Amino acid sequence: MTYATMAVPSRALHLWRYTPWARIHPTSVEEVPETTPIRWSVSDGIALENGAPSTLGADDIARVFLLEAATEAYTLTPGKGQQTIHIRAVASGHAAIGRLHLNIKHDVTVIVHLSGEATWAGVHITGEVADNVRFGYGMVNELSVNSKLLRCEDWSLGRDADVQHASLSVGGFRCKNDLRTRFTSSGSRLTQAVSVHGRDQRHVDHHIEIHHDIERTDSSLNVHAACDDRSHSIATGLLTIAKEANHCDAGQVFKNLLLSEKARAEAIPELEVLADEVAAAHGAASAPLDPDQMHYLMSRGLDRNEAASLVVEGFMHHGFSSITNQVLVEEMRTRLTVHLECELKR
Amino acid sequence: MAEEILRIENLHVKVEDTPILHGLTLTVNRGEKHVIMGRNGAGKSTLASVIMGHPAYEITQGKVFFMGQPLDELDVFERARAGIFLSFQYPAVIPGVQVGTFLKKSVQSVRQEQLKARAFRKELNEAMNTLDMQKSVLARYVNDGFSGGEKKRLEILQMLLLKPNLALLDETDSGLDIDALRIVAKGINQIAPDAGCLIITHYQRLLDHVKPDFVHVMINGQLVMSGGPELALKLEDQGYDWLDTPEVEA
Repeated sequence: MTYATMAVPSRALHLWRYTPWARIHPTSVEEVPETTPIRWSVSDGIALENGAPSTLGADDIARVFLLEAATEAYTLTPGKGQQTIHIRAVASGHAAIGRLHLNIKHDVTVIVHLSGEATWAGVHITGEVADNVRFGYGMVNELSVNSKLLRCEDWSLGRDADVQHASLSVGGFRCKNDLRTRFTSSGSRLTQAVSVHGRDQRHVDHHIEIHHDIERTDSSLNVHAACDDRSHSIATGLLTIAKEANHCDAGQVFKNLLLSEKARAEAIPELEVLADEVAAAHGAASAPLDPDQMHYLMSRGLDRNEAASLVVEGFMHHGFSSITNQVLVEEMRTRLTVHLECELKR
Repeated sequence: MAEEILRIENLHVKVEDTPILHGLTLTVNRGEKHVIMGRNGAGKSTLASVIMGHPAYEITQGKVFFMGQPLDELDVFERARAGIFLSFQYPAVIPGVQVGTFLKKSVQSVRQEQLKARAFRKELNEAMNTLDMQKSVLARYVNDGFSGGEKKRLEILQMLLLKPNLALLDETDSGLDIDALRIVAKGINQIAPDAGCLIITHYQRLLDHVKPDFVHVMINGQLVMSGGPELALKLEDQGYDWLDTPEVEA
């Protein structure tokens, strides 16, 4: 299937209801524009290999578009003994695309830092996590406040793999994130956490699919979005448990902190559970700043802005509370603190 | 001459449409420990909240002065920076904010200066040692999953670090075991000589460790009787019923 033969997806679809394809496409929907490659640099001089598999998610318009519009693709295969790898991804120019495949065969933590001034950035990250591997993955979106972002991820988890997946979204003004994980072998576990900070007119859409195709697989998803000004956060979760996938344990929790009257947040968990012997749960909550928390912090000398900022920092950081990989947690905390300190000075 | 820290003149307070305090007058000087006792719902915590500036309470009559300055001119954080500290009866839980981060921000805000890391760490260690607190608490989230005793110790730790001119302690002794009570009292006694203390409590047992200068009884939003430490002993022995006679209330 090619992009030219694909129909523009209907807004009736769960995935495209809040951020339709036309609003996240870099130009007009009928074309595949020329793009420049995102510049990747990897810590410790680790080299990327040319090329990446193109089969994952090949029936989805965003992925097909990224595949056809990209001029380069890379694969990273961390070696044994490498503990933490930082990848800088810099997007510049009118439209920049990066495709990266992570071939995870050993225990490792990989953190991608996405930044740059590109008008539009597209990122497709795919990953295969081998059997019995403990893998930590982080994505920090620190794009320019004027950038649009289309981010797709596809993960496949091997037997007894333990994956911790953390996303911090503080950059870009319109962001569409489509993150999908598929369990292909039993005994594996995914712990996924997303924290979003919305300000000005930022529009951040996270669509997160977790597919339990096989028995005895566990997942937990936590999404925390703090929305200020006229920002808008959307989080849609699609959790599926196949008919034969008994003894799975899956949960999704979405929390929104609304910091202004005009901020908006949607939290829409969706479950399709076809197996009988499973535990599946979901929850969603939206609330303004807690006046008791504000009063407590102000009674300790913090002015209103400082108190609100600390509550937001805590709320967003708490989104990662299910993540036990301390390298990931510390990196998310550091980047979040830097971001909020910059925001306070605005 | 005693330095006046807090002066309350004929204070009337309501929350929503319900009057709580009905003409309360009190002066606290530096170095004095005042204890307020009274039944549940008498207005004791309201008094502490009003002094701290909780927005839910409205002063309908009267004035509160802190070191000579009318308090109604100050926002909550300005009161804290001026040196008012409230140890909350029910401290707020702030998930995701580590105690260490919170303490540093709080001390910086009150002192209005950048802290030198080493000096602050030393000060923090000393205060935590005084209260027999584990360093691991610094990595925990503020009051999140804390026991009642842990919350109260954290309140007292903040008080030691913030070195207030006026310490308001709202049932800080509630829910403490005997050892924790002794440790919390040690913290109060440490700051008491340099501050005015207003201690709200139900129990005499705290006063075995913190010797008050004045004990006041609050009934229906008024201080109906004041005395020395012997008044607390009498209340412990006889309760409040003997104060309900019209002569006493008058």
